[in-house]
Amino acid sequence: MRRTWLAAVLGGALVVRPMDVMAQTYLVVVSGIGGEPKYSQVFEEWCTTLVGAARDRFHLPDESIVYLAESPGRHTDIAGKSTKQNVEGALNDLATRAEPAARIFIVLVGHGSAVGGQMRFNLPGPDMTAEDFAAVLSRFPTQEIVFANLSSASGGFIPVLSGKRRAIVTATKSGFERNETIFPGHFVAAFAGDGADTDKDERVSVLEAFNYARREVARAYESENRLLTEHALLDDDGDGRGSTEPDPLTGDGGMAMRLFLHSPTQSAGVISDPELAALYKGKEQLEQQLAALRSRKDEMAAELYQRQLERLLLELARTSRAIREREGKQP
Amino acid sequence: MLARPCWGRALSLLAALSCLTAPYVWAQGELAGARAAYNEGRYDDAISGFTRLVRRQPASAEAARGLVRALGEVGRYRDAEHTARRFVERNSRSPELWTLLGEVLLRQGRRDEAERAFANAVRGGASDSLAARLNLAILRYERGDVAEAMREFDAFIDVYNQTPRLNSDELTAVATAVRYLGVNDPQLYRDALRAYDEAVSAAPHDFEPQLLIGELFLEKYSGTEALETFDSILAKNPNHPRALLGLARTRRFAGSPEALQLARRSIEINPNLVPARVFLATLYIELEDYGKAAREVGRALEVDSTTLQALSVLAAIRFLQGDQGGFDEARRRAFSLNPRFAGFYNTLAEVSARNRLYHLAVRFAQQAVELDPKSWRGYGLLGINQLRVGSMEAGRENLEVAFEGDPYDVWTKNTLDLLDTLAHYSETATARFRFVIDGKESRLLSLYAGELAEEAYDRLAARYGYRPATPIRVEVYPSHADFSVRTVGLVGVGALGVSFGPVLAMDSPSARELGSFNWGSTLWHEIAHTFHLGVTDHKVPRWFSEGLAVLEERRARPGWGGDVSPGFLMAFREGRLLPVGELNNGFMRPQYPEQVAFSYYQASLVCELIERDHGPQALSRMLQGYRDGRSTSAVFRSVLHTDLEAFNEVFERYLRDRFGRALAALGSVELLGAHGKRSRDEVAERVRRDPDDFAAQLAMGQMLTAEGRLDEAVPHLERAKSLFPEYAGPGNPYWHLALIHKRQGAARKAVEELLALTAINGGNYQAFLELAGLQESLQDSKGAAEALDRALYVYPMDIAVHRRLAELSAELGDWGRAIRERRAAVALDPVDRAKALYQLARAYFSAGDRESARRTVVQALEIAPNYAAAQDLLLEIHDARKDR
Repeated sequence: MRRTWLAAVLGGALVVRPMDVMAQTYLVVVSGIGGEPKYSQVFEEWCTTLVGAARDRFHLPDESIVYLAESPGRHTDIAGKSTKQNVEGALNDLATRAEPAARIFIVLVGHGSAVGGQMRFNLPGPDMTAEDFAAVLSRFPTQEIVFANLSSASGGFIPVLSGKRRAIVTATKSGFERNETIFPGHFVAAFAGDGADTDKDERVSVLEAFNYARREVARAYESENRLLTEHALLDDDGDGRGSTEPDPLTGDGGMAMRLFLHSPTQSAGVISDPELAALYKGKEQLEQQLAALRSRKDEMAAELYQRQLERLLLELARTSRAIREREGKQP
Repeated sequence: MLARPCWGRALSLLAALSCLTAPYVWAQGELAGARAAYNEGRYDDAISGFTRLVRRQPASAEAARGLVRALGEVGRYRDAEHTARRFVERNSRSPELWTLLGEVLLRQGRRDEAERAFANAVRGGASDSLAARLNLAILRYERGDVAEAMREFDAFIDVYNQTPRLNSDELTAVATAVRYLGVNDPQLYRDALRAYDEAVSAAPHDFEPQLLIGELFLEKYSGTEALETFDSILAKNPNHPRALLGLARTRRFAGSPEALQLARRSIEINPNLVPARVFLATLYIELEDYGKAAREVGRALEVDSTTLQALSVLAAIRFLQGDQGGFDEARRRAFSLNPRFAGFYNTLAEVSARNRLYHLAVRFAQQAVELDPKSWRGYGLLGINQLRVGSMEAGRENLEVAFEGDPYDVWTKNTLDLLDTLAHYSETATARFRFVIDGKESRLLSLYAGELAEEAYDRLAARYGYRPATPIRVEVYPSHADFSVRTVGLVGVGALGVSFGPVLAMDSPSARELGSFNWGSTLWHEIAHTFHLGVTDHKVPRWFSEGLAVLEERRARPGWGGDVSPGFLMAFREGRLLPVGELNNGFMRPQYPEQVAFSYYQASLVCELIERDHGPQALSRMLQGYRDGRSTSAVFRSVLHTDLEAFNEVFERYLRDRFGRALAALGSVELLGAHGKRSRDEVAERVRRDPDDFAAQLAMGQMLTAEGRLDEAVPHLERAKSLFPEYAGPGNPYWHLALIHKRQGAARKAVEELLALTAINGGNYQAFLELAGLQESLQDSKGAAEALDRALYVYPMDIAVHRRLAELSAELGDWGRAIRERRAAVALDPVDRAKALYQLARAYFSAGDRESARRTVVQALEIAPNYAAAQDLLLEIHDARKDR
């Protein structure tokens, strides 16, 4: 269960609205060196879109966002040039101010390379290697980290950075997939656009974004009759091996499904209305029953399953409508 | 001190020696020269050289052998026989020429004499007596005495195992014997190949084992390996008639026109090469030119009246001509030579299948395996043709038998692999069709294919007054290679679809590049073939069936069924279109790359002309004529009351009238698509010189458009359009004008251009999307929906198009189409599946189908239980049920 129910603790009079995230969320976006104007432009477009979505859609405060890019003058959101020194400086600074339970999103967009077995993210001036990032990330000993290296040849970052409380996303499965990637555009679109929120809880988890992007990439290659040359990976179980199709029940994905890019204040709140609290409680119970029913699906006769499913869904729908009405929201 | 040599004595000794050795040395040199000429295919030089040697050294078996071989290679079998006989008469104690004499006699069908010659070689202990033994066993085999022949072939294994060093000829004989034994143990084919390889290593300049390797590959449909083998021989001897024949047979796999040319070249070198004549006959049969085919077989039988293959092909010709007496006579002759010759029926099955008579192919293959239960080829042909008529289970079973007997037959193996793939396909059915489509695409394509196929069935049944047996099976392949295997057993076929009658197979739109073909019109085309094949008992000639099918496409939807291209008109102007009587060649043996496409279009115009001049019933009456077994010329005479020559003249006039303006404007079309290589000044000069030059006007318009000089471009594009209004191919003026009008804000004018373009070319995906966008901007939802609907038959895989069409359909209250489009979106497996299901449920609900709406919204909520919109819909549905 993702949600926390504290009504019992608080004697039923005061209820904390269900929420998954109490931790502060920080976002560090780095647009690497483009090499050619068209790449510089598209990298910065993607990064700017992501930063915009984080701020405007997910309500991250400006002080929680750091955006470094090749040409700082091109956009007001850009805080500085994306040199190795600045990237390390920004992360070190964040390490000093982030709360112990904070959630750190680090997103790299650009070109990558694998030189002499060393995985690199290409920056203006000296590149940063996977080991360089590992050193900086070690300064976040308690925080949860989402590290998304969306560059070409990024797959090799996983074995170096994998660890507890870390979800690592790469656009390719190894350092040998060196072609430019389209995964970043779709990963950003997952947060900035519609379509990735597959469970309709009005949030986009890292797992949802990953799945959305990888499937859109596959679709794009298929429609152009091209062979897929980028295979994105997600590793969040700390085993150093990424999954192309993560499954929270069997391996990677369990952590990523509860990581959201949004402000902790967005969904947290206290419910003082006892009627509303009861509705929320009822909703929670129905969700639990639904989850239990779905877990038994394979063992049940199809007709019986469908009947029970529909009954629970109907109840849930009525309860949700009642909550909305009580909260004065438009259906 | 060294003694000075006595030069006088030494010189005289040398002179004496040279008197003794000079003829020998000289003869050795000439022998080598003649052999070299033979190996390089300079057969006249070889014959001259060997002839001189034989005259000078009548006892030289080497010289006589060389001459017999060289004469045999160019088909001078009588002369070769004479040479061999002279040798055995003059050298009665030498057995060395008996084997070759036997082979020369065998090539002339004189089997008894050949057998005696081989026996003499064996008895006399000739150096090539192993080859003679092999020939004796083959003669026995070909008489139908298979058991005894097999025992004799089996003995060659002992020869191989017990003889420490075999020469190349002996290894070749062993390999051939082992190849015969392969019918009982297919692993022996590998041993045969190994022995041939050893023979090649033992005598790299001897082409015989290499040829036999190539022929073994051909027998197993290993085209690539066969090609390499024959190519390597021809690189050394470009005139080798059997290698040329082998290459021709290999090229036939690829449907290449070279097959005919190579076979003819082979016959130019050896006019009496019986297998080449027989092969040529089969090529003519494919062209439905039975007269020429019969002439070739006749010439083969004049050389060797005992050739079983020639008699089989003769029987096939007579069968196709409906000449039962001739067929019976050919069969009698074949079986009097070998009553167990399953190859007779296999040939009939192959020829029948190549002429689209698949049910007959099944029947003949059945007879082959009844006659010889070890005819693995027969089982293969039986299985493949059963699959073609829709007997899937029986087909698989027989292919399994064939594979077990001969796992090296590539066709059988490929087809079995394909059947394994088909296991992952889904089957859906409509009233008269069963669709077998790859699981990933089935739910999407069947939404459209079913409706379209049913419509085609109704319309074609009404037109032809004929209803093919149902269900008709339609297989759709996302892999072109799989489609190719289904069609011809091998990869590489260029077609988009095929109709076997009750079974159709075609490429899925995902098998090719986006927008490269209209899959809807392809399906319609193949269904039309099913009608034409059925109406005529599969006797419709290829050209007529194709022409009619294209015409049916054209009737089905605007823009379907191909359109005229500058290349077609140029081909017409240059006399490169074939007369109607030879139009089959354009499909089967194209002489230039575009000829197949041109032939489709030409054939469709022929049908249009017939319909115009003789009424729509004329086309149906022609089909009836073909069903009655009449030839094209007879059908033209009886139905159209004209001969082919006269019709060709009428057709030529028709083309000139119909495309006169465009023909005049196609001064030189090389500017089309290549204007980038020319300067604008050059193009402008051409425009100035000749304002009626279509290519120049179009190029000028394109150049100015590219430069952003839109107003200046318009008159050139308009001029090009008026000069050749039927042109809607790449870079056409309609497209450019539409884009210009769009950029200039004249959406309505842009729409007009795109409507005109898509009415001619229904395969331009971008044009449909652009048209839909513009029509939407003009608030023309109906037009926009129509454009998107048509786009889906070019490329149905873009989820955004389905969503847009669903929205437009909903807006128009067309809930049927809205539901179809929402189902398509779900079938495309979107990331946001819950939303797609919700939208489908909403469409069902709006259409009044509450039950489907309820089921579907529950599916959406199962994925996303808190999906507010879906929850509301579920409640709405339940409320509506309560209210009822």
